Amino acid sequence: MAQHDMLPAETVHDGRLGISDVVAGSCQADAVGPAGAEGSPQGRDSSPRPALHTPDEPVSLKGLGKLAVVLRSMWSQGEGRFALVVLACWIVVSLASIVWTPKKLWETDGYHVWAPPSADHLLGTDGTGADVFSWLMAGARTNLLIAILSVMLAGVVGVTLLMAMVSRSKMVSAISVVAVDALISIPTVLIALILAVPMGASIAVIILACGVGYGLNLARIARPQALLAAGSDYAVSARASGASGGYVLFRHVLPNSLPSIMVQLSLSAGTAILAESGLTYLGVGVPSGVPSWGHSLSTSVKLIDVYPLTVVWPGLTVTVVVVALNLFGDVLRQAIDPIVNTALRKVAA
Amino acid sequence: MSVSIRDLGIVIGSQTLVSDVDLDIADGERVGLIGSSGSGKSMISKAMLGLTPDDAVLSGSVNLSGVEAVGADEVTLADLRGRYVGTILQDPFSSLNPVTTVGRQIELPLRLHYRLSKAERAGRVRRMLAKVGLDAGLADRHPNELSGGQAQRAAIATALITSPRLIVADEPTTALDSIAQRQIVDLLVRLVDDSGASMLFITHDFSVLARATTRAYVLEHGRVVESGATSDLLAKPSTPQAGRLVGAARKLALE
Ligand SMILES: Nc1ncnc2c1ncn2[C@@H]1O[C@H](COP(=O)(O)OP(=O)(O)O)[C@@H](O)[C@H]1O
Ligand SMILES: [Mg+2]
Repeated sequence: MAQHDMLPAETVHDGRLGISDVVAGSCQADAVGPAGAEGSPQGRDSSPRPALHTPDEPVSLKGLGKLAVVLRSMWSQGEGRFALVVLACWIVVSLASIVWTPKKLWETDGYHVWAPPSADHLLGTDGTGADVFSWLMAGARTNLLIAILSVMLAGVVGVTLLMAMVSRSKMVSAISVVAVDALISIPTVLIALILAVPMGASIAVIILACGVGYGLNLARIARPQALLAAGSDYAVSARASGASGGYVLFRHVLPNSLPSIMVQLSLSAGTAILAESGLTYLGVGVPSGVPSWGHSLSTSVKLIDVYPLTVVWPGLTVTVVVVALNLFGDVLRQAIDPIVNTALRKVAA
Repeated sequence: MSVSIRDLGIVIGSQTLVSDVDLDIADGERVGLIGSSGSGKSMISKAMLGLTPDDAVLSGSVNLSGVEAVGADEVTLADLRGRYVGTILQDPFSSLNPVTTVGRQIELPLRLHYRLSKAERAGRVRRMLAKVGLDAGLADRHPNELSGGQAQRAAIATALITSPRLIVADEPTTALDSIAQRQIVDLLVRLVDDSGASMLFITHDFSVLARATTRAYVLEHGRVVESGATSDLLAKPSTPQAGRLVGAARKLALE
């Protein structure tokens, strides 16, 4: 193979660079054009291919500009504003709860159990006399952690499976399609129950069950869009430019499947919150003593007939956050799509 | 780059799509491949770069200046594609990735095959855009902001950015209106001749073929039924298949 392949000149040249010459390794010097027009030698056997991002590219700056544009166009819609405000509050409260809650979590008031809201206890107290508001604040960070890690795991699992499902290798795609179809029929709850056998009740059970379960879902739901991209003319065109299968998958198929992936991931975040409540209630989720919205719900739900208010607060919190996450996904999909969001194109410039 | 295709056969499943095709392109020559829709033109062009569907079985030989493309490994093929052979597809819009800027797509062959600084690449893209008659500002646009003619010019820029030695143009004007068609053909011919590259120009339209090529092959049901100088084929087609295509072209020209 050639060690000194030169980029041919942009202008006319008579000493034509025949492919046989180059592949045989005898690159003609006169085939190289005037100064400035030739590329630097690239021994393709001895040196790696050029990096996708050369270091001189201000990727991070452009990335920040894009983020600003995406946030701004999300903010311009009512649903987007609601979602952003709720999610921002969630994050702020989670962080604040690490250093401060109105009452200490373990400070119980035996004389005021199931107390209604008052100046002293903003949202009242539960059956042990603990402050409901403080527990919800502290629960926010547990649920945030669960949502983030579940979504990350679902993203990794889902995108890996998705790329395998639409890859050009017949064997890889066939195996992954069958695997996804088989595994997807197992309910997330069942995965969690099985995992809880060796692991016991733990946050990791929720994250693993949700991450794997929603990853499978993501792969299957985003597959049609990814298949369309994989079979598209621009994928053929990229291959005709010399791009490898992997390059086409990650540079063409993945970006063009991003809208479905994004929506699915933010739905997953919401579903992970709901799953936390369910699994904690079943006793395989967040261990007792660790604050979480599911914990707050399950400790109060037994007496819902007598003290409904105590159930309302965690229930309301979960509902508002899940709705916000679902709206977030919808608005995000439009905001990150350069075809729909014209402002995004200007940043790319 | 010279091309020598011998006994090319393409079979998918039980269907023989192409058989016994012999086709030659001399260094710097512009050769046409004409045939009705479904006759196997695209299959032949794909076979030249190993881009046929995975279940296609190829036989015979495609020799590109001494390099055999039939049965070649992926590394050899990837090295040919975009570096020594530039490809232009029929539909300019669908052959551009909707979520990537035009400039990034034009520079892709450069990125893949040559190690250049960002400035060198940008300079080459800018000069290429000027050559195909596009505004430098279009590099930062997305494909859906382009007209059909502009998109096809961008596709031509992508195919020519590395100064390849062979251009395979698969019906590059079919999706365009007649004025844009003529402009694109003339542009392509000028650029190909300027760079000294060879070209395989695929079409089903004789009126376009005459502008783009000096010699042509007529394909029917995956077989070459006639070949010769394009002007001779147009003036006195000797087979009924070529006659039909010429007739259709004349009729279009009169309309
Ligand atoms: N992936 C495929 N599998 C099987 N047959 C195909 C496939 N793609 C194209 N064909 C068939 O191959 C024949 C030639 O197709 P093509 O080369 O695209 O024709 P042309 O470019 O001349 O219009 C057609 O009959 C078409 O139906
Ligand atoms: Mg075709």
